[in-house]
Amino acid sequence: MLKKSVLTSKSAKSFIAKAVASALTAVLLTGCSGASSSSNENEIAIGVISPTSGSEAYYGTDMVQSYQLAVDEINAAGGVLGKTLKLYPEDDGCDANMATNAASKIIASGADFVVGGYCSGATVAAMPLFHDENLLMLISAANSTEITALGFEQSFMFNSPGTHAALTLTDLCLSLGTTKAALIHQGDSYTKNLSDICEEALPKSGIEIATIQVMEKGAPDVSAIVTAVRNSGADFVYWCGYHADGSNVIKQLRQGGYEGDIAVGDGSASVELITACGSAGEGVYVTSPPFVEFAQGGDKFVEDYKAKFEVNPGNYATLCYDTMYVLKNAIEQANSTETDKVRDVIANIEYQGLSGLIKFTPERELEVSNFIVLQIEKGEFKLVEL
Amino acid sequence: MFSAWELILQQLVNGLILGSFYALVALGYSMVYGIIKLLNFAHGDIYMTGAFICLSVYGAVSGVLPGWTGIAVSVLAAMAVSGLLGFLAQKFAYRPLLSAPRLSLLITAIGVSLVISNTVMVITKSQPLFFTSGLDNSLGIKFGSITVTYIQIIMLAVSAILMISLTLFINRTMMGKAMRAIALDQDTCALVGINVNKIIGLTFVLGSALAAIAGGMACVYYGNVQYNMGYMIGIKAFTAAVIGGIGSVPGAMLGGILLGLLEALGTQFLGSSWKDVFAFGLLILILILRPNGLLGRSEIERM
Repeated sequence: MLKKSVLTSKSAKSFIAKAVASALTAVLLTGCSGASSSSNENEIAIGVISPTSGSEAYYGTDMVQSYQLAVDEINAAGGVLGKTLKLYPEDDGCDANMATNAASKIIASGADFVVGGYCSGATVAAMPLFHDENLLMLISAANSTEITALGFEQSFMFNSPGTHAALTLTDLCLSLGTTKAALIHQGDSYTKNLSDICEEALPKSGIEIATIQVMEKGAPDVSAIVTAVRNSGADFVYWCGYHADGSNVIKQLRQGGYEGDIAVGDGSASVELITACGSAGEGVYVTSPPFVEFAQGGDKFVEDYKAKFEVNPGNYATLCYDTMYVLKNAIEQANSTETDKVRDVIANIEYQGLSGLIKFTPERELEVSNFIVLQIEKGEFKLVEL
Repeated sequence: MFSAWELILQQLVNGLILGSFYALVALGYSMVYGIIKLLNFAHGDIYMTGAFICLSVYGAVSGVLPGWTGIAVSVLAAMAVSGLLGFLAQKFAYRPLLSAPRLSLLITAIGVSLVISNTVMVITKSQPLFFTSGLDNSLGIKFGSITVTYIQIIMLAVSAILMISLTLFINRTMMGKAMRAIALDQDTCALVGINVNKIIGLTFVLGSALAAIAGGMACVYYGNVQYNMGYMIGIKAFTAAVIGGIGSVPGAMLGGILLGLLEALGTQFLGSSWKDVFAFGLLILILILRPNGLLGRSEIERM
């Protein structure tokens, strides 16, 4: 979503910022050499980099809390290798400049590992700093392919990249017997990209792309698009945009006499979609991130999370929680906190977490899509088994 | 699937409905421009305020007055609030600048637009709001594969009635005559005893109330209200007013409907990503051939 758009606008600035920050870090580190390792022998220090201020603060805070929940559980059960885990959260503000500062602070605090990463732009800016220090970075939410494109061996991406949404969508279409699909996006980088990926993926499974339409953001009337979609003979419509305009599209598709299946992407994966669509929303499918409510064992997680933080867990809570457990298991298996040893274990790990199966490709991306399919049924999301 | 003529007919229906929206908003632009030569860029935000008030009032009264009665009350409330807002903007922001250069007035209008939209942004915390009336919007009439819903018919009828009444008001009443006179020459009007300020105020109230009706209709029909929803429709309505001949009331209607039809046909035959290129390309052509718009008169510069 927003994660992708930040990248392009900030990349030029971030390059300079990176250079400056690297220089600063170098000064800092030489200034206090020797003191940079973990201050406490009985503690494993884990830096957390996520946006806890600014427009994405809700998600960044949710991430820190999800890690904290896992850390508290692990420590209560005796810690790892006789040591306790401790988090050192830093705010990247979803901004490349702030992210390099946050990374420098994490490095200076002597972190043994790094977790986090929400906005792809900020994450990509911070990664080279951790790379230079040979720190293992486990990225829980950010999912741009630019992250893996950096080719850093000690970074792993725990969230499915956009290409996985198309795989899950293909599975859904095949199970529904779709022959012709219509794609509707909004012309911006995130929704257009999702549409492009689907345009490429669906025909590989024999599903024809009937038409691709663009809806202006905030345009009130889409009846002309609805007519074009009906005329194309599509029996499946995939909405690649966000829920506010999505509800409008869904309602007008139904008002305009479209009777086929409708699905929406993760930008619309919000309970607000249900209220906004009203009766027109019944039967609509969602290719959604792994919401904890639908995970096996998710009930206990939601209960514990609410008891601790007095709010509901967010969209990426399960991914963060799983990230921490993967790290714990890997340290135990490696019997060491050395970056290279832990990295080799994670590269071959198979962990069934709340968010799905965590197993990495040689590019350190998830092998299996963690997207789930939901359907609106009587005003509620229901999990669809494909 | 449609047959070829059904397809064109359905797109014409779609375009007509979209166009009547544009026309309602364009009327306000055109009236205000006709009378004080101001491009009131805040007009789209008045439309948005109308939708916002309609949604809020319906939320409050729907318990007592469900369905169409509640909607009618909400739209009336939206007209009142938006009319007042238009009046206040005119009184405090525009009137003191009436004798200033036109550019200052234009910048003020942009300022008023930002003030209104940002206020609503703060109130709604940038979140879209959703309107749920419990009415079934999909009920309608089918001719072959062409669908026209009742709510579309109602909207079209309301727009038509409003446009006809406005035309009658301007052409057949003393107030309307005064408005036309002010458009020609403000100073002379003052000399013959017309209360110029009052008539200008009335024009703003009328234009804003029309925009509020369009906003209320958008709220009921499309169901979501956002602080920035006035921006795009403001631009489109402004375009419609210019195409029709800015300052001309029938021109605004014609321009709005023409723009709606062009967009619908552009979507069908060139694809939705090209519809604006198609519609605006044709509009540029119209302006080259008729620089004053379809129904506009060439202006005589007064010295």
